[in-house]
Amino acid sequence: MKTNKSLLASVALGALIFSSCEKDHAHVHNEHEVMTTLTFTLTAEGADTVALRFIDLDGEGGNEPTITGGTLKANTTYAGSIEILNESNPEDVEDVTLEILEEDEDHQFFFTSTVDGLTLTYTDQDADGKPIGQTNELKTGDAGSGTILVTLLHEPNKSGANVSTGDIANAGGETDIEVTFDVNVE
Amino acid sequence: MLNRLFKLFLLFSAILSVKAQDCTYSIEGSVFDLGTHLPLSDVNIFVTETSNGCCTDERGLFSLYNLCEGEYHIVFSHIGCEPKKFHINLTQDTVLHIDLSHTISSLGIVHLDEQKTGHINQPSLSISKKTIEENLTKNLGGLIENETGVSLLKSGSSLSKPIVHGLFGNRLSIINNGIIQSGQQWGKDHAPEIDPLSSNRITIIKGANAIGYGGGNLGSVILMESKKIAHEPHLHGYVNYAFETNGRGNNLNIQLEKYTPKLAWRINGTLKKYGDKKTSDYYLRNTGVEEANFSIQLEKSWGERFFLNFYGSTFNTNLGVLRGAHIGNLTDLKRGLSRDVPFFTEEDFSYKINAPMQKVAHHLAKLDATYLINEDEELKFIIAAQQNNRKEFDIRRGGRSDLPMLSLLQNTLNTEVKYTRKMKNSWKLTLGNQNIISDNTNNPETKTSPLIPDYISFKGGLFGVASKKKGFLLINMGLRYDIENQNIVAIQNTIPRTSKRFRNNFHNLSAASSFKFDLSKNQSLLFNTGYATRNPGINELFSSGVHQGVSAIEDGDIHLKTEKAFKNTLEYKWVPSTKFSLSALAFHQSFENYIFLKPQNEMKLTIRGAFPYFKYEQTHARIYGFDFSSEITIRNSIQGIIRYSFLRGKDTSNNEPLISLPSNNLFTSLKYQFDRSINLFENVRAEEFEIDINNKTVFKQNNILSTQDYSPAPSTYNLLGLKVSSRLVFPNHYLNCFIKIENLFNTKYREYLNRHRYFADDIGLSATLGLNFKF
Repeated sequence: MKTNKSLLASVALGALIFSSCEKDHAHVHNEHEVMTTLTFTLTAEGADTVALRFIDLDGEGGNEPTITGGTLKANTTYAGSIEILNESNPEDVEDVTLEILEEDEDHQFFFTSTVDGLTLTYTDQDADGKPIGQTNELKTGDAGSGTILVTLLHEPNKSGANVSTGDIANAGGETDIEVTFDVNVE
Repeated sequence: MLNRLFKLFLLFSAILSVKAQDCTYSIEGSVFDLGTHLPLSDVNIFVTETSNGCCTDERGLFSLYNLCEGEYHIVFSHIGCEPKKFHINLTQDTVLHIDLSHTISSLGIVHLDEQKTGHINQPSLSISKKTIEENLTKNLGGLIENETGVSLLKSGSSLSKPIVHGLFGNRLSIINNGIIQSGQQWGKDHAPEIDPLSSNRITIIKGANAIGYGGGNLGSVILMESKKIAHEPHLHGYVNYAFETNGRGNNLNIQLEKYTPKLAWRINGTLKKYGDKKTSDYYLRNTGVEEANFSIQLEKSWGERFFLNFYGSTFNTNLGVLRGAHIGNLTDLKRGLSRDVPFFTEEDFSYKINAPMQKVAHHLAKLDATYLINEDEELKFIIAAQQNNRKEFDIRRGGRSDLPMLSLLQNTLNTEVKYTRKMKNSWKLTLGNQNIISDNTNNPETKTSPLIPDYISFKGGLFGVASKKKGFLLINMGLRYDIENQNIVAIQNTIPRTSKRFRNNFHNLSAASSFKFDLSKNQSLLFNTGYATRNPGINELFSSGVHQGVSAIEDGDIHLKTEKAFKNTLEYKWVPSTKFSLSALAFHQSFENYIFLKPQNEMKLTIRGAFPYFKYEQTHARIYGFDFSSEITIRNSIQGIIRYSFLRGKDTSNNEPLISLPSNNLFTSLKYQFDRSINLFENVRAEEFEIDINNKTVFKQNNILSTQDYSPAPSTYNLLGLKVSSRLVFPNHYLNCFIKIENLFNTKYREYLNRHRYFADDIGLSATLGLNFKF
């Protein structure tokens, strides 16, 4: 009898807890480190400014990103500049570019193009004299079309073979950004 | 029956008296094997106080002469046995009868207290305190990985999750001193937060359903148990120390215990520090481990009927994760795959642990009370609280590497009431109720969106188990009903982010029965059948986004249904003598609504590149296999062990193999024990000198398709091990010591179930020196 009571009491205790538990609201806060938008602006005298843009406001997964390519002028030298934003909260847009430049020794952009004659070179340097790639120079050749792949590595080995001339093969590190833009050269 | 009663009466008891003069007393007696009740010859008997000893003869008899009046501690040890320590206050000539638990018991044939623990009728195997102590450099997984039917899911050298019969994580329960170990068990790189050194025995139940344990396991259970504190008036304990060359690891484990009529206590503490581990030719950067654990056990009894036990433990670890295995996207993974040596590998050894790393703490406080109502009825109450605090650090931008990427706090409360009754008609009945409340909160310090949502879950279960022994047949039957309620607050992927509430209710019914037939005096057949269910885990319901370690986008599904499993096991055992034993176990488990990550036919494009896309889906599946093990002792000095495990798994709806299942493996060991002691110096001699050579062969996992993985399964590998151990006897004390070499040939290999195999080789040669001082 005593046993039945204790079993019953135990079940009752369970039932009490069962009916009374409710989780507090979750903390919804601004996510740091998120990158939603990359704009690669290319300007040249005598040519229209081109903005290659990647936007994915809801972050990784979810809705598909919007990617805007561009048309460049043949045999032209463009000055390139990259801006990265966190627009996950429209009320509080964060400029991630500044954060990257603050840690410029730990970051480097790499560019790979499938367009014939199109080359990209670094025009900026970190404190150690190694390239970053946030500003750069893009030269187009004859007319053609293809893609430009922009990669940002975090903690690359900047002293690796050919890394400072833009070869990603020996760079190591982790990929923070890897976006591909369609481009036409006319 | 009378015979057995007689033996029981003699067990641990000392009787008979003849004369009373100084230093002329004698102790005579016999040693029997607990499993077979046959006499054990060549048992070493050692009197700690005098550093003297002797051996039993063929009839298991021994005698010690010329002992003075006083207190003695006598150690009985035998090849392949758990040594037994015995305390005696000698005031007269004495006769002792000792039962030793021979290794046969590690095949699960006999448990001293099997009637108490109630897993009498399930295929199981046990690991003794001696084995635990000799493996003090290992974590729980490492300790059990050479047993049949057991494998490990590893994430590098120091993180491992046990797999039993192909199931791990949420499908496998670990019971620490009667309490289901809580924590974030769903994570493939979350090792169980438990110190095996505070346990006296680890038992792996490979049955169809452990009805009395609950917790969503689908059959198998790992039990970690502390034994009762011996009724010994002196302070006893041990100090274990081991140094391991690979990782330059120092391990220290100390235990103290004492019994007084008022209160019996035992404390146990462990400290570990390891640096970078090494493969056959390079250091694995950032793979160090630091660990500090402590446990306390208190026992008190009021009369013969009321017993109260307290157990408290704290486990704290800092674990480095291989730097070269930290990747940002699929391109990084492919670059990692193409390399022989991982990125970030350095020439020099280091103890430093930096991001990526895990900092995990797990605390447990448990109180249990047992009340013997009368001879036939027993009532047991348990209340336990657990706290699990897990912080995982990644390489982050903007100095945020000091902020964890994942920070989860879980508080769990367990309650249990269990009533056991022996009925008149030889039935034994157990009824119980178990409740678990678990509160999970993401600490906002991470400044990132959480991997799994905040939730409170409640589980309540009622169960009943009945067992009966009649002639050659032993029957067990059990039924269990559980209710689970999950109360979730999940952050939605909207712009800006919002949170939404979900409430899930599940009802689970599970049942199991087992039948053991004694075919003859030394052969038995055990059939075990069970139906168990597991509710989808929070990660399976709510995951969303990139899973860093595997470079994939994984999405949960809130519509997942309860997973159902039906398992049958058939075990045959043959133990014709104390010198030979054989066990063969076949099992088959079929699943309905088996939850798994299914690769989708699309890639998800993100700012970090394209990721393979996986979704949690359900299918029908089956896992089957067999475990074989046999032990033979020749001439009392040579012991051979052979163990083989075979396992297959199939997704029967999609007609393809199940991934991440252990490959078949073979373990063999040959042990030689010198029967004489060796005089090293004038006052020092080596006793029980033992050489053990063992080999583990892990076969290639051929049962997967090339499309199911980023890289093909690694080749078959062999790991050879060597261990030399002995007891050094000094005047008045002794020291157990061993030297162990693992991966003797420094073989370069990769293991299919090591998730870091994409990036790096597995561990190379490692030598360990261990010292054990008991007092």
